[in-house]
Amino acid sequence: MAMNKLSSTARESSQKISIRSVSKAYESTHALDEVSFSVSEGEFCCVVGPSGCGKTTLLRAIAGLDDPDSGSILVDGDPVTEPSLNRGMVFQEYALFPWRTVRGNIRFGLDRPACACADCEARVRELVDLVGLDGFEDAYPKELSGGMKQRVGIARALAVDPEILLMDEPFGSVDARTRDRLHAELLDIWAQTEQTVVFITHDIDEAVTLADRVVVMDADPGTVQSTISIDLERPRERTAHEFVDYVARIRDELGSPRDISQK
Amino acid sequence: MSLQTDSKSSATTMPRFEGDAKRYLRGLGGLTAFLIVWWIGAMMTQPSYLVPGPVASVRAFVDLFATSTAIVVPVLGSEMVLPTGLAHLAETLFHYVPGLLLGAGCGISLGLAMGWNGALDDWFRPLVRVLRPIPPLAWVVFAIVWFGIHHTGAAFIVFVGAFWINFYGAYGGVEGVSSDLTDAASTLGVERDLSMLKLVALPSAAPQVLTGFRTSIGRCWMIVVGAELFGAPGVGYEIINASNNLAMATSVAYMFLISLAFLCMDVGFRLVERSVLAWR
Repeated sequence: MAMNKLSSTARESSQKISIRSVSKAYESTHALDEVSFSVSEGEFCCVVGPSGCGKTTLLRAIAGLDDPDSGSILVDGDPVTEPSLNRGMVFQEYALFPWRTVRGNIRFGLDRPACACADCEARVRELVDLVGLDGFEDAYPKELSGGMKQRVGIARALAVDPEILLMDEPFGSVDARTRDRLHAELLDIWAQTEQTVVFITHDIDEAVTLADRVVVMDADPGTVQSTISIDLERPRERTAHEFVDYVARIRDELGSPRDISQK
Repeated sequence: MSLQTDSKSSATTMPRFEGDAKRYLRGLGGLTAFLIVWWIGAMMTQPSYLVPGPVASVRAFVDLFATSTAIVVPVLGSEMVLPTGLAHLAETLFHYVPGLLLGAGCGISLGLAMGWNGALDDWFRPLVRVLRPIPPLAWVVFAIVWFGIHHTGAAFIVFVGAFWINFYGAYGGVEGVSSDLTDAASTLGVERDLSMLKLVALPSAAPQVLTGFRTSIGRCWMIVVGAELFGAPGVGYEIINASNNLAMATSVAYMFLISLAFLCMDVGFRLVERSVLAWR
């Protein structure tokens, strides 16, 4: 933890997102307690932790949807005060606009505040293609499966070309096979767009499959337990020896008793 | 995945169609049974005006369209000659339609505003609590004092009825807007409150707003007849007018007419609703 803090101050200038001693309390729980870590430009960062460790609260704070009680979040050195088109968000329960078609949902951000793109329709087609929804442009969300809905959610967030993509357990409600496919697609998209990704999950396998670095959080109060870099070539094989080691290590971190000196 | 559900739904189409036919037949059976009971009851009741029979009622209904009546079109002041039944129906619509539309417009506007703006909600909620339980017909006294019991007065009573139903439709609809959707919209560049209302809250509340309006169509028919029993011209007035002459079959004929008018509006609006809410 101490080492981590040191290295993050040293590299501060190159950090895309810096989270500095962020705390947030709800009525009875300490959702976040002095949480600090950074995410560098183009990095795929996964945050894992038990439910109640404040990982969603943290993501919402980065998005600018919730204000922390204390501490600050910097993006490109500027403090976050409100949501921005530069930080796209993908929601756990998709949060698609049910009255809009696939095309209408993807287009939503492009029309705000005014259509700035040269050819919005072409952009929408490009995104539909990117997430593999050809032929479903005019379908309403109710007609789509969970996996397809989340593809729309991702395309909608990508449409405005944000530098940061914030994902809140995006594949938590899709079946295992679809999730594997979506992982591969997401990594493809990430490779193409070179975005900085913060991805929340409680699934350790998912974190090790996707991340450059995994931030392990502890619950009540929500603190950063440790951060672990995943040095594995992609695509990663879940049965590989190293993969299993990483999973075991993170599980150890999650299960370990809280160290008081860390706070 | 989607293929599976497709084959399942097509497999259930056939039995459901047969089930529909069976249900229509049952419905027809119920209607026939009612007609028979009504017919026998009417034959056995003396004096005959107490329960006019189905045959006499149908004859009276046909008669409504055999004669003509001249009515005055409000605002324009010109005269219009229509078959008697339609003439009185038109008279009712002259206050029903403006009252309904104005009441719905005001009710939906206030409902949206209060549902969306917490401060406004704080200001008006107690007032709403006090005024809401007053039955629209209780306002008839003020309708008479302020406007006289004619088109304007009756329209006012319909207005009150339409107002509250639509108010609660819109209020509940906006209150129920999911915060996930407003969050998603704010990360996608919606900044101003008014844009959020237009782009997220309104479409999201549309189903409840439309349900509120459809409910008010029916409720306002009840209210309008009530208002006309006090003397405003229209089908409701004709019901009481006919009964004063003991022409009870004619009263029944006007009751049918109201039922028909309501059915047409309800079915028409359901079609509109279905096409507007195709996404549901």
